[in-house]
Order: sequence, then C-alpha cells, then structure tokens
Amino acid sequence: MNSPVIKVEQVSKAVAGRQLLVDVSFDIAERSLVSLIGPNGAGKSTLVKIILGLDKQYDGTVTIRQGERVQYVPQLGMDDQHQLPLSVYEYIAIATNSLYSQNKKPVNFEKTLTHVGVSVEKLHQSYTSLSGGERQRVAIARALLGDPTVLVLDEPLAAVDYASRSGLYELIRHLQQDHNMTVLLVSHDIDSVLPLSDQVLCLNKSLHTDCHPSEFKTTGGQINTTIHHHC
Amino acid sequence: MELLTYTFVQYAFIGGIAMAVLAGLLGPFVVQSRQSIASDMFAHVALAGIGAALLVGASPWWGALPALIIVSSLIWWLLDSGKYSPDALAMFFLSGGLALALAFVHVARDTVFSFENYLFGSILTLTDIDLVAIVVSTALVVGMVWYLWYPLLGATQSPRYLIPFRHTPKVVQLLFFWLLAIVVWIGIKTIGGLLIGALLVIPVLTARNWATSFKKLVCISTAVSVVSVSLGLTIALYVDLPPSSLIIGTVIALFVLQAIAAPLVGRHSQV
Repeated sequence: MNSPVIKVEQVSKAVAGRQLLVDVSFDIAERSLVSLIGPNGAGKSTLVKIILGLDKQYDGTVTIRQGERVQYVPQLGMDDQHQLPLSVYEYIAIATNSLYSQNKKPVNFEKTLTHVGVSVEKLHQSYTSLSGGERQRVAIARALLGDPTVLVLDEPLAAVDYASRSGLYELIRHLQQDHNMTVLLVSHDIDSVLPLSDQVLCLNKSLHTDCHPSEFKTTGGQINTTIHHHC
Repeated sequence: MELLTYTFVQYAFIGGIAMAVLAGLLGPFVVQSRQSIASDMFAHVALAGIGAALLVGASPWWGALPALIIVSSLIWWLLDSGKYSPDALAMFFLSGGLALALAFVHVARDTVFSFENYLFGSILTLTDIDLVAIVVSTALVVGMVWYLWYPLLGATQSPRYLIPFRHTPKVVQLLFFWLLAIVVWIGIKTIGGLLIGALLVIPVLTARNWATSFKKLVCISTAVSVVSVSLGLTIALYVDLPPSSLIIGTVIALFVLQAIAAPLVGRHSQV
C-alpha cells in the first residue's frame, strides 16, 4: 500500500496556556477527498497552517510525502469595500509570478479558466464584480496554475450561493477523480461537505471521529461524535 | 506664456510632473496596503534627517534621504515582528521625528533655515542638482515598479488575495517602503512633506470608480496627478497663492467633479 500523502502524528499546540490542538493524528491517502470539519474555534485554521508549513511552533510531526505539491485556496471573505480594482488576470498573475510560485512549467490562464468553468471573457473583468461562485472557481484556477498534487480548500462553499454549489461540488470531484488530486476540504458546515467526502475528520481541539459519510449523522446541527472513535 | 521661458518655471514643471508621476504610480499601492499615513510619518522622519544634516553642516535635503531609508527599514522590521499596530508605530515615528527635528535645528542655530520649505514645498526654487536627483530617482522608481509589478501587487494586497504559502513577499514589502521613502524625499522638496499624502491618496480615490483593473487604476491616478500638478502650477503663475496649495486644491476639485459625475454615468461612487 502507498504511504499517505499527508501524515499527521500527535500534533498538539498551545498558545499562552490555551490548548488549540490536542494530540491530533490522521493520515490522508492518495487521491482521497477528506473533509476537516468542526465549529468555529475548533483549531481547523491552526491545523491547516501547520500542514501548509506556515506555523512551525507545535509538538508532533506532520509529513508531506516526497514530491507532493500542495496548493492552498484561501477562504473568500465578504465583499471588501476597500479593495481597489483588480482584474481576474491580475489576481491570477500575482500568484503565478516566479517570486511566489514554485511552478516552473509554462502556464495558460485561458485554458485553466475554461477548465474550472469560467469564460475567457472574464479574464480582463474586475475580480470583485464576479459572483461568489465565479470567484471561488477563479481562486481554484489560480491554485491549479501552481501544478498541485494536493489541494487544500478553506471553506470553499462559504461565499457561494446555494444554486452554484452543485457545480462546485462537481468541479472539486472532477479534480480529485480525473486529475488524481488529493483534496483536503476545511469547513464548519457539515451539510455542505458531506456529499463530497470520502472521509470526514471531526475536529474540536482533538480529533473526535474518523468516519465515512454514510455513517455520519448530525442532530440539530450538532455533530454526533459517538460513531467510530478515531483509531 | 512668457513666464514659461524662465528656467525656474521650467524646472518647477519638470520636477512637479516627475513628482506627479511617482505619486500616481505608487499611490494605488499605498492605498491598497493601508499605508496612507506612512507618507506623513516618513515626511516627519525626513525632518529629523534634515535637522541632523544641518547639525553636521551638510545639505538638509540630502540629509533626509539616509534618514528615510534607515527609518523605513526599521519600521518594516517592527511591522514584520507583528508586535506593534501600524497606527501606533506611525504616531511613534511621526511625533518622534518631529521632536528630534526641532531639537537638531535648535542645536544647529541656523538662522537662515526654515522648516516651512520642506513642510509645504519649494518647487519654484529647484536647482540643477535638485532636478537631476529628482529625474534620476523618478526613473529608478518607475523602473523598479515596472520590473516588480506583480510582486509589488502581491505584497500590497489584502492577505486574503494572497496565497499564504512558501514564498512570502516580505522582501518586496521592504522594497516598497524604500520606494515610498524616495517618493517622500522628492515630495518634501517639491510639494511639501505635509501635502505629499494628498497627492498619493486623492488621485487614487478619484480613479477607483473608473477602473476595472489595477493597471488602469494606476494609469488614471497618474493622469489625474499630472493634470493636477500642471494645472496647479499654471494657476500659480498668475495667482498669488502657494503652488502646493493650488496643486492640492486642483486634486480635490477633480475628485469632487468625478464624485458628482460618477453616479450620472452609472458608476458606483465609492470613497
């Protein structure tokens, strides 16, 4: 069996006496779609920062398999009134600049935009004028230009209206299944990620469950953590 | 038009337009990175450099340049440490720079020196050497911004527009501070330390309703800035008012005009 793409072993982190993560361990297998869910303040962002290598102050070990290229798609915020005009082209070009990107292969903005379902005409439009769904797709396109093998998506459906969600589900599935990517989805909303996931990790400072979607139940928005204790 | 044949008027136009190009070019980066107050802070730090130069008998304007480069690096380092908020740091250096400047000038006992030239500019008194320094600095800043366009764009965006991964734009942020320091250095000689902020910020607010990309924003804000300086200087030739106040007055007038026009042509007006 292949070694896991991401291996998290006994990761703990405390800041000023406050425990943010307690003994978190899990593996993410190649080409799987794993959701990391938990309420606000559960330590999801802290764990993602550790996995991405942005936070090195923690106990335990995180191993990314040799040769894997991880790209991160940050959460889209609410509309920022203070954001100055930025075209879709510029938004993408910032990240593909050689100073910020490790990808040395030539990139094609038009082709990648079409791949994620955004028309090429949008390339020179203002990024902020796009809908939430389109912006999320452009953000994914930008990550794809980094030629990743692992995609980490932070709350990809948070700023997306309900009607656009199914299209995004399909896109994320397509990237995982047809392009052999390993995907880690981070969300506080179990209902939005449940239809997608091969595996769901429930985090609330420590890992409570490691269960398959078909067995996963929610009761009144509360995560039922009595199923399958993480082994 | 006869006035345009005078060398000091020609120098004023060349220096003023160079300043306008720099302000229009760097202004959008300054506004986007929420560093508008930094230009004011740098201007006060420059005064401390001017004071120090007086103390050692050097040219005051040239004394401001090393002070600006050293302090802008220090501010970048302090901001990067994450221990201090940008506004608190701005106030620290703004007041500190002014206090130090007052002390230096007092000790130097130079009876001819006047802070007013640097606070409100002295564009009509530019010398050959001043002009060469301004033109060379302008070429340097324009070249750097051209060459590092996307890294600078990345380094000054809101964090959520960035990919917080591997290569951080810290070094580019330091370079951005140096570029801003050079612009302020030229600013204190031309339009004045207290007024440079207006030329950096107001053209961007004027342009933002009319642009769909950052590149267009820079082009429009540069055009607004150049028109304001040219118009302000031209009026100053015929009206007995300080050129700096006329330039800033023109910038504000253009902003008000576009704010009225934008809703009329279906543009969403924002400040």
